[in-house]
Amino acid sequence: MKPKRRTAAGLALSALLAASPAAYAACDAGPGVLRGETSKVALAFRTTPPVIKVGELFSLRAEVCPQAGTRVSGLKVDASMPAHKHGMNYQPRVRQTGPGSYAATGLMFHMPGRWQFTFDVETPAGRERIHVDYTAE
Amino acid sequence: MRRTAALIAAALIATGAAAQQHAGLSPLAASPEELRNIQRHGPWPQPVPRDPSNRVSGKAEAIALGRALFFDPRLSPRADLSCASCHLPERTLTDGRERAQGGGPAKPRLDRNTPGLWNVAQGRWFGWDGGSDSLWSFTPRPILHPDEMGASPAHVARLLRDDANLACRYAQAFGRAVPPEADAETALVDAAKALAAYLETLVSGKSAFDEFREALARGDAAAAARYPADARRGLSLFAGKGLCSVCHFGPNFSNGEFHNIGMPHMVEPGRVDPGRHGGIRRVRADKYNRLGAYSDDATRTSGSRTLHLTENHGNYGQFKVPSLRNVALTAPYMHDGRLATLREVVRHYSELDIDRLHQDGDALLKPLRLSDAESEDLVAFLRTLTSRGFPDLNPVTGPCKPQGQR
Repeated sequence: MKPKRRTAAGLALSALLAASPAAYAACDAGPGVLRGETSKVALAFRTTPPVIKVGELFSLRAEVCPQAGTRVSGLKVDASMPAHKHGMNYQPRVRQTGPGSYAATGLMFHMPGRWQFTFDVETPAGRERIHVDYTAE
Repeated sequence: MRRTAALIAAALIATGAAAQQHAGLSPLAASPEELRNIQRHGPWPQPVPRDPSNRVSGKAEAIALGRALFFDPRLSPRADLSCASCHLPERTLTDGRERAQGGGPAKPRLDRNTPGLWNVAQGRWFGWDGGSDSLWSFTPRPILHPDEMGASPAHVARLLRDDANLACRYAQAFGRAVPPEADAETALVDAAKALAAYLETLVSGKSAFDEFREALARGDAAAAARYPADARRGLSLFAGKGLCSVCHFGPNFSNGEFHNIGMPHMVEPGRVDPGRHGGIRRVRADKYNRLGAYSDDATRTSGSRTLHLTENHGNYGQFKVPSLRNVALTAPYMHDGRLATLREVVRHYSELDIDRLHQDGDALLKPLRLSDAESEDLVAFLRTLTSRGFPDLNPVTGPCKPQGQR
């Protein structure tokens, strides 16, 4: 499993976090937690099972943590293999389970290699897109 | 942890063996990444999971009924075609034809190649287009199709009811008498479930490749060295630069999904085989699918894949990735059998015409540009996937004895 690479936006966000740590508390990194962020939102998620097996359906639970002043109205989840230029053969279904909490079912990585999750966080100001890499063995 | 230790052991052996390498690649020389890729193709055989949508999956009495039906030509109203007419035991459960031959006086040429049935229960989609989401729900297709057996549910119900031996086996398998005429469809579905229970038992034995893989895993240099050198080089191509193992993934050498590999999909002038595109529509509309009323999975959980299927234009011309186990015995190849030999298959990938791929085809596919020697090595590897043994396919099951009778 490969964690997301730190981006310039991520480093900038770290600075913002120092000013408002509580806003991102639910999206902190931890064991088994995968994480991504933009300048406006952070997102942390866990998959079930924790290690994704090629060819088997999995689900995930995500927490979306907006920067102060940003309101989250929805979340879309998808994944693709950038090197192969294809996505999944299955369409995940996402439902909100609480404020900023979402559950997605019906994901499957059908090939080994580098996959990339794409989370589209919907806000009144537009879409915040977060990518998180994952290598399926 | 144990797997990691085995990989480390194999890597250490590989390091030592590399020093002794002579002409060609030593059977033990491999990078940790290659060793990991090789280990993914086992262990073998894999356990056959019970199908929750089929309540008689794994049940001995249903297996006996399914076996009797598999070899019984009376399943077709003309009594001219059994499952075993196309899935010939002496031909590794295929028929050796490019495209299957139907039943009846016309014996029409069907659209697709007859796939082998060994290890069929390892799949998740059935048929070249994956138009069925369980083994049992695929089975009514050849039984009912007018170009194949051409039966009706009523015919199948009558056969089960009127033949004392089959009626006895049915009662033992399902714990009740064959349904009446008015419920012939239930009898058909039950016959399909019994056939699936039998098909689940078709598991082929270990191959020379499996023995090599196990030798690597336990660090047995002497046993690993018995693997032919040309096959070993071919395996390196398969799991390495050829990227074959990305799709031919896992113990059954198939990721169970669908890909467009640039095969023409015209069935005849003016008629196209849509492949997976049609399969997705078919499985969604299938009243026998895992989400439907005939599924025995009360939770419908096993239908999750069907529920989450997505369809896009890239599915056009995709066909199922076949297992490569026993591939040397199942010529000809591809969904329409257009490639006669394994050499032709390897040449297809070596000289792949990317213009023939759908514009959204996998970027993974590129011409391999193999030398003649490399092509021969790859074929040599594929030949080592032939099982050393197959379970007995004797169709005779003996007379059914009603329960309580000795």
